[in-house]
Amino acid sequence: MLIGITGIVLVAIGTILWVTLPSSEKVDFSTQIKPILNNKCISCHGGVKKNAGFSLLFEEEAFAATESGTPAILPGDASGSEFIRRLREKDPELRMPYQKPPLSDEEIELLTRWIDQGAEWGEHWAYSLPQKIDVPKTSQEAGLGSNTASTFIKNDIDPFILARMEEHQLVPSKPAETNTLARRVALDLTGLPPDQELFSAFTGGTLSYGGLVDSLLSRSSYGEKWASWWLDLARYADTKGYERDAGRSMWAYRDWVIRALNRDMPYDEFTIAQLAGDLLPDPSIDQLIATAFHRNTMNNDEGGTEDEEFRTASVIDRVNTTFEVWQSTTMGCVQCHSHPYDPFRHDEYYRLMAFFNNTRDEDTYNEDPNLYFFGDVEKAKIEKIKKWVTAYGDSTLLKQYSDFLRFKEPVYQAHLSEDFVNGELADTKWLALWDNGSCKLKNIDTQGATSMYLYYRSGIDGTTMTIKKGNAQGPILARFGIDKTQGNIIRRIPFKKVDEKVTLHIEANNNAIPRETSTSAITWFAFLPDLPGKGKPGYQEILSLFLEVMNVQVPTLPIMVENPDYMKRSTQVFERGNWLLKADTVQAKTPEVLNEWEAQWNKDRMGLAQWMVSKKNPLTARTLVNRVWHQLFGRGLVATLEDMGTQSDPPSHPALLDWLALRFMNDHGWSIKALIKDIVLSGTYRQSSESSPGLFQKDPGNQWYARAPRMRLSAEQIRDQALAISGLLSTKMYGPGVMPPQPEGVWQTVYSNEQWVESKGADKNRRAVYTYLKRTSPYPSFLTFDAGSREVCTVRRTVTNTPLQALVTLNDPVYLEAAYHFARTMQGKDVSQAISDGYKKALYSEITPGKLEALRQLFETSLLEFQNSDEAVTAFLPFEERPDATLAALTVVANAIMNLDEFLNKV
Amino acid sequence: MKNNLDRLIQEKIQRELGAQTRRHFIQKCATGMGGLALGSLFLGCDAFKGKQEKKQLGFSERDLNPLAPLAPPFGPKVKNVIFLHMAGAPSQLEMFDYKPELQKLHDQDCPQSLLEGKKFAFIRGTPKLLGPQAKFEKVGESGNWVSDNLPHFKSVVDEVAFLKAVHTDQFNHGPAQLFMHTGSPRLGRPSLGSWITYGLGSENQNLPGFVVLTSGGKVPSAGKSVWGSGFLPSVYQGVQCRSQGDPVLYIEDPQGMSRTLKKRTIEAINAINKEEYAKYGDPEILARINQYEMAYRMQIAVPDVMNINDEPDYIKELYGVEPGKESFANNCLLARKLVEDGVRFVQLYDWGWDAHGTAEETSVDIGLRSKCRDIDRPMTALLLDLKQRGLLEETLVVWGGEFGRTPMQENREGKTMGFKGRDHHGDAFTMWMAGGGIRKGASHGQTDAIGFSGIDGRVSVHDVNATILHLLGFDHEQFTFQFQGRPFRLTDVEGEVIREVLA
Repeated sequence: MLIGITGIVLVAIGTILWVTLPSSEKVDFSTQIKPILNNKCISCHGGVKKNAGFSLLFEEEAFAATESGTPAILPGDASGSEFIRRLREKDPELRMPYQKPPLSDEEIELLTRWIDQGAEWGEHWAYSLPQKIDVPKTSQEAGLGSNTASTFIKNDIDPFILARMEEHQLVPSKPAETNTLARRVALDLTGLPPDQELFSAFTGGTLSYGGLVDSLLSRSSYGEKWASWWLDLARYADTKGYERDAGRSMWAYRDWVIRALNRDMPYDEFTIAQLAGDLLPDPSIDQLIATAFHRNTMNNDEGGTEDEEFRTASVIDRVNTTFEVWQSTTMGCVQCHSHPYDPFRHDEYYRLMAFFNNTRDEDTYNEDPNLYFFGDVEKAKIEKIKKWVTAYGDSTLLKQYSDFLRFKEPVYQAHLSEDFVNGELADTKWLALWDNGSCKLKNIDTQGATSMYLYYRSGIDGTTMTIKKGNAQGPILARFGIDKTQGNIIRRIPFKKVDEKVTLHIEANNNAIPRETSTSAITWFAFLPDLPGKGKPGYQEILSLFLEVMNVQVPTLPIMVENPDYMKRSTQVFERGNWLLKADTVQAKTPEVLNEWEAQWNKDRMGLAQWMVSKKNPLTARTLVNRVWHQLFGRGLVATLEDMGTQSDPPSHPALLDWLALRFMNDHGWSIKALIKDIVLSGTYRQSSESSPGLFQKDPGNQWYARAPRMRLSAEQIRDQALAISGLLSTKMYGPGVMPPQPEGVWQTVYSNEQWVESKGADKNRRAVYTYLKRTSPYPSFLTFDAGSREVCTVRRTVTNTPLQALVTLNDPVYLEAAYHFARTMQGKDVSQAISDGYKKALYSEITPGKLEALRQLFETSLLEFQNSDEAVTAFLPFEERPDATLAALTVVANAIMNLDEFLNKV
Repeated sequence: MKNNLDRLIQEKIQRELGAQTRRHFIQKCATGMGGLALGSLFLGCDAFKGKQEKKQLGFSERDLNPLAPLAPPFGPKVKNVIFLHMAGAPSQLEMFDYKPELQKLHDQDCPQSLLEGKKFAFIRGTPKLLGPQAKFEKVGESGNWVSDNLPHFKSVVDEVAFLKAVHTDQFNHGPAQLFMHTGSPRLGRPSLGSWITYGLGSENQNLPGFVVLTSGGKVPSAGKSVWGSGFLPSVYQGVQCRSQGDPVLYIEDPQGMSRTLKKRTIEAINAINKEEYAKYGDPEILARINQYEMAYRMQIAVPDVMNINDEPDYIKELYGVEPGKESFANNCLLARKLVEDGVRFVQLYDWGWDAHGTAEETSVDIGLRSKCRDIDRPMTALLLDLKQRGLLEETLVVWGGEFGRTPMQENREGKTMGFKGRDHHGDAFTMWMAGGGIRKGASHGQTDAIGFSGIDGRVSVHDVNATILHLLGFDHEQFTFQFQGRPFRLTDVEGEVIREVLA
């Protein structure tokens, strides 16, 4: 019966499937020819090398004359094409691929047929827009009345899955038990096991599955769970990376991600805020916070490193990360040469870089620009200043003042100074002149201001600093004294009005100090047009308020701020990717092969973000849908999650991928929650994950989804789950990273006095997403469970299964303490009952007799041991005031339960 | 030598007697894990049964054990690697690269031609040349130069092959260390040790395949990424074995829990997991059962191999170990023990070689001499000890830093400095290799009269890595991993095997 039905379904949906075509049929370039070219030809005839002047990367190259003078491929004439002749050549010196095994007869035959049919070049599927697709005809219409299918199909996702399953002679598994499903979906949506109330309501039948899903999606734990996924992509960490790897204050961005996910910010808005929030009209604080996405790049504080080198490295990282995160495209290779396989040209990389090359950040120690989080007192002062500027100035001036108050830009950083005499850029960070020292700052726009702001510190009194126009003989623009300061301060210094761009010649004099002693350490210089309303009553007060606000110490966050016109950088191609070898200047432009640029977009990050979330972009929605699917099923519809280019695995369910992508954009208005809900409501998701050797053998990787995936929980989930079931988990949200217990001596960073200071109280047991992440030394047990160090964008974590993981959950004091607290909830009952209840509480299912017996025996053995040694009991339960042997034995059992494969997995 | 051999035999007998109880747990082919009720599923004596079952199910040895040993594609010369990295970059000019001409030019201004277009980390303006701060001597039959900073090392100079003109394009510690160990100055690539354990697995399933030992009080500048696995599965990342605290994190049983009880715990877990496997048929469950057994064995094997107290006195003396402390000497002895037990890749980092001359301990005369003393005897002992055990033939020992140091005296930001120091220098520095497949006593490459640049036999960091892979039986151009749609390799798109130092 079933086999017949399979046939019918196949015929019904055959048109949307990729099937091998009979030999008279037209050869398809993308699916049949391009893979051969990529695997066999392109390493010598492509983006990296073009041996004999022949390349198969772009259409026009493939048909162009080679070094021999004629084209290698003559469309319609395979027998006359050098390309085919060389594949069939007998002489090993001439036969291609050179010094590699020859192509198979089938491959040569395909290529021959392709050329004879006219050698039509095709576009890779991922670069064409998803096409509107009808849900495949299913059971009822096809007369499919089988129980399996009708219980399997729960929504429109399932017919797509069923069709492919049947092609592979597979049938769906039975639905998962309700208790299993409740645990699975709660872990998937919130990262935590379900609470008892919700669990009982669902398994008891008073709450529908849809109701359960809605309830889980509405919890704040949803955002905490999915944030880990996004933070991997965003390379979020709490330190700067590289040698010194000092702490940085990034957590406001992490909190923004959690909040945005929880309120289900549409993905287009989510994208625009992170890529270009600062370029929105009158951006909100939240929109500025979002731009920290691209300030998660590393910052190098190592002495002797040049800021421009690492600023460039950050910009390159932003290009690569943007394309990995939104476009499933590896732009990294295009940095040095045209893409080896995909149609991206070398210069296109730098055209993309031009979008990112004009932000204020310059790899400085302070990580400027920073957003300042003022308290209410300062906010009131700021309002007063803004009101003043509104009253006496224009809107441009108001924006300049508002911006400077919010993030202190634009400024000229000390590392721009040059031509030092008796002075240095101290630790390659701060401008430090000695007695009789000087240096220059070139090409400075003073905004015609009559004052200059200086951010500096000094440990010495009595220095006179003079700023002259042009050179040592130039007119004096400013002269002022520098004395000891209390740390870094911002000062306003009278400055002679200049209307054109100038070179500032800066001198310091202090003959009372030993030679080679720094008179001060300057971080930046800034020029802001004069405060309007001079002479009006209250003018002086506003000036003072401004300086007060400037000098207050508040929490900060590195953000993106665009260069003003007078600071714009031009972008040049780097020869072979080397930042020191600059070639042609290029303008911002998106790659040719992708969607067209629309005239109304600005050629800046905002335009790029709009281009990215345009419904005409073929990759954005597909990429997101594929990755959300991966989060839930452990594999993507395109298995190569990081790449949808021509070297990627073909989609297992191309029709479903496109259907989901269109539904996500059009029906759901880019709602991630709606997408997730679609997927978890599917019958595909709700199957049992049980397998048999037969089923396993047919589909070891479960790419046809004839069973639900059985996946090891993530590093975060493993810890959160242990704390949750033992009642330790804190529900406190947000704020600076916390430091739960970790072994002594794990942090050993050079040139750093930063310490791991164990968090106390609730902070000790916060959700894993709040754990302080030091890039050069991440939290050890997370690292063991495959969480990364977030130095670069991580599209997927490889899941491993290692003995070191066993050591963590068996021996890490964090897990023992959880086991002890869990054991306490099992106390005071008959042993078998205690174990059964404990098992059920942890695993959400009834214990089998075999498992009960194994754990009961373990309890007995433990009890006997502990009864014989009070010392062992006391040592084993350092948390307990009155330790006893029974509690110790129960703790051993609890520890075992928390080490079971079924506990560590989503089943 | 005869005497040494006797002692070795004696030592072996001693060990075997002493290890009876322990051996009972960790024998490679014992009845499961020390009488564990379940017995090993796929390791140990049950291997035959395991293979049958695996074949039926269609999964490979690696599915169950990602560190299962694999044969390299080509004939290997060595099985294991010990890489001694002097983090901070040691001065070749005070150790191996003798430049009498530099002595003559001492205190003269560095010629402008050498400075044009060059970038230095700290040197500004025109620095002065600094003559060698050590005495040199031609030693051994090879007649290679070694300074008086390394008196012990002179005795083994004929075992090693020098690379005198290595160059790197990075001149800051973090990026240069990453470049040396991952083939890229930026983060995110797998380290050499990860590539090798990924390619070859490990011979000893009770120990990590890639072990990292640090000394000098700090980890290297680039942090743990220098032994990270990048885009390779995390199981191939280096495992740091520490001298203080647990040698491997969480290796110690909780206080109050006996070994027996731990064994019973794992038995219970695995019995339940086996029942789970019967229900779900997921081979990952079998892999987990394996991992728990392995963890149990590792708990015995790691502290055992990390314990140097039971080594005979003459061995302790040979290395100059200081049990209980974190020292390079201890780590050298540990490295020998680890490769002896089949660990594939042992990486040592010794921190504190950044001789800028900012203080006495970072001066190239006083400070460097003291650092050299710390390593001289241990690294000499390591070669001798490996040799007397016949292990040197199957082990490759590599020594070097992330770059070298300038022939000029550092003048940090244009200032005169209180002590003699040298700045970072990537144009030319010395490394050496010893062991299987290495041409003993060779010296490849030559620098100019003052040791500024290589003038002959220049080799790059990629060449060094290509050579290491070659000795292990890999063609560095073929040894790739598919990631982000393209094959990645350790040597990127460069690297040539340095034939001149091969036997």
